[in-house]
Amino acid sequence: MAELTKEVYHDGVVKRLVQFSIIWAVLGMLVGVWLAAELLWPGLDFGQFWLSFGRLRPLHTNGIIFGFGVSALMATAFYSVQRTSNVPLFLPQLAWICCYGWQVIVLTGGLSLLAGWTSSKEYAELEWPFDIAITVLWVCFAVVFFGTIANRRIKNIYVSNWFYGGLIIVIAMLHIVNNLAIPVTIDNSSSIFAGAQDAIVQWWYGHNAVGFLLTGGFLGMVYYFLPKQANQPIWSYRLSVVSFWAFTYTYIWAGPHHLHYNSIPEWVQSLGMVMSLILLAPSWATMINGIMTVSKAWKKLTVDPALKFIVLALAFYGLATFEGPMMAIRSVNVVSHFTDWTIGHVHSGALGWNAMITYGTFYFMVPRMMGVPLYSVRLANIHFWLALGGTMLYIIAMWGAGISQGLLWLSIDEIGELSYSFNEVMAGMVPYYGLRLLAGLIFLSGTVIMAYNLFRTMYGRNTVAVSPPEVIDDIKGTAHNPDAVMGVSPDDEMPSAGKGVPA
Amino acid sequence: MFLKTLITPGRVFRDIADGNELVIHAVHRQTFLLVILPPIFAWVGATTFGWRLGAEDPLYFDNTARIIISFFYAMALGFGYITTVLLASWMAKTYGAKGDLEATGALITVIVAPLSIASIAHLYPQVFFNVLVMIPAVIWSMNLLYRGLPVVMQIPPERGMLMSSSLVGWLLVAFVSLLGISAGLWTYGIGPSVGV
Repeated sequence: MAELTKEVYHDGVVKRLVQFSIIWAVLGMLVGVWLAAELLWPGLDFGQFWLSFGRLRPLHTNGIIFGFGVSALMATAFYSVQRTSNVPLFLPQLAWICCYGWQVIVLTGGLSLLAGWTSSKEYAELEWPFDIAITVLWVCFAVVFFGTIANRRIKNIYVSNWFYGGLIIVIAMLHIVNNLAIPVTIDNSSSIFAGAQDAIVQWWYGHNAVGFLLTGGFLGMVYYFLPKQANQPIWSYRLSVVSFWAFTYTYIWAGPHHLHYNSIPEWVQSLGMVMSLILLAPSWATMINGIMTVSKAWKKLTVDPALKFIVLALAFYGLATFEGPMMAIRSVNVVSHFTDWTIGHVHSGALGWNAMITYGTFYFMVPRMMGVPLYSVRLANIHFWLALGGTMLYIIAMWGAGISQGLLWLSIDEIGELSYSFNEVMAGMVPYYGLRLLAGLIFLSGTVIMAYNLFRTMYGRNTVAVSPPEVIDDIKGTAHNPDAVMGVSPDDEMPSAGKGVPA
Repeated sequence: MFLKTLITPGRVFRDIADGNELVIHAVHRQTFLLVILPPIFAWVGATTFGWRLGAEDPLYFDNTARIIISFFYAMALGFGYITTVLLASWMAKTYGAKGDLEATGALITVIVAPLSIASIAHLYPQVFFNVLVMIPAVIWSMNLLYRGLPVVMQIPPERGMLMSSSLVGWLLVAFVSLLGISAGLWTYGIGPSVGV
């Protein structure tokens, strides 16, 4: 046990990943706001190719998903896997390589998109040199994560690690298969798939990137940080494990719902639809598990900004995971597909779920890592209302636009011809796009406030040294509670003004 | 009473929490009106102006379709009201709140009142105009939810905030269900004529 006391968790890399994640969030959302403005004022590209909608749009999605999202996932995975395994990170130098290597890929990959390099596959636009670099970095991520689990001093593997592990394995599989291509030049390649097969593989990738990265990975966050924040075991650990396997089995089939009424076999579309509907069960099992965990803890609960974000994120998770299967029904999809309703759905997930759960997690993690209270709780509360208002305004605007588009595009006159032209319909969307721009600005301003708040909390400070608590033999005990798994570690408590360094 | 719920909702919340039967019954009496007003406005608006979805020409459909749409709208609002009351009452046990059906029903009525009043915008069924009118109404209703729930349910504001967020989740799902069901019905030939 003497050697244990010398060990400390490697939180420096976590802190750096959080900082990068915040920077990408601000930049990625700024590009999103610019895109929203371009839809109103197309002249905002100033005649520059690199500022055109077609190049900025993948920059926005890649910046948010891979810059903001993956950096946050790496940070929270590294933070929680140490504490649920009671050991510091395996090969911490490799973790640092992951951290900086990933940022280099996001930065140079983003620049390549602006230069017009693209494979034209949605969410997988980066060309083959970046695909290879991503694969190498992802393997490094896997080595650090699974190496830490292999070294664990706790018998059970806590459920958050199952979700993070699922994310690492499935994304590796999807990324490699979907990006199989024959390089032509440094900035061009030819996919080995063609036609309908290409479409099916692309949406097998695309939908499961949403599933295992934007849903499964972030559920890993929920399963670690929610019980920690609520100071309460998961309401039903058995349900969390069952929902993990049901989620993993079901999600992988749902991709064809992106190709309804398309040139793929109808039975494949129907299979995608049915599996999407089944998916509601494991998705909501997790939401109910989360909400019940919080609600069981109310007697000892003091609400801080982190918990507000996490609870609201669960509400939007409930909305997005209900809306998705509903939109996968073919008779609904015929109205909603290719309309702004889909954009609204994506953003109820991306803003309401992914961003809010990440913000809540950062508000929880940063003060504990730095050993000081949050710089300003008031700013965090203002951020909460801006995030809620921005998200609501965004999805209401897109619902209005999407329903209108769906109905108008399908309207037929007495002789069976389309009543409205595409141009005519789109001309009527300008007011909604104005609202969307306003919503984006509101959400972005909240994110900037958070960035200021967290950087002031971190400014000039190193992470506090936290050692793994002592464990007796291999614990057989209650793996459902991260507290029970970890024992009580010094970073469990929220620093207050009276503890640690005053703000 | 109608004006009182809009102008001084705080007092109404306290009266409901205190079990003031006069106030609770007065609030309940306006529930039916609040549920049927939006479909009536929608029917009148669709008859007079047609649906204006952003294109130059409005979308007209026959009287049977308008009546069917308004009928389903009323049913959906009634179903939504009842299920929200039942759900809030059920959730109350989990949050250690006071959740008798009478008080919960009155609370939900006060919360939805701004939305129902704002549905007067349905008289001119231009979608963006309706969105613009509904946004402040949604903000006001959410404000009432977060403010009123802890008072009526008699729980601390922090816990009320958590329960309110859970209810927001349910209300979002209920609303998006309405959109999905509508789209499904249009596809099956009920409502506007779509080429599917």
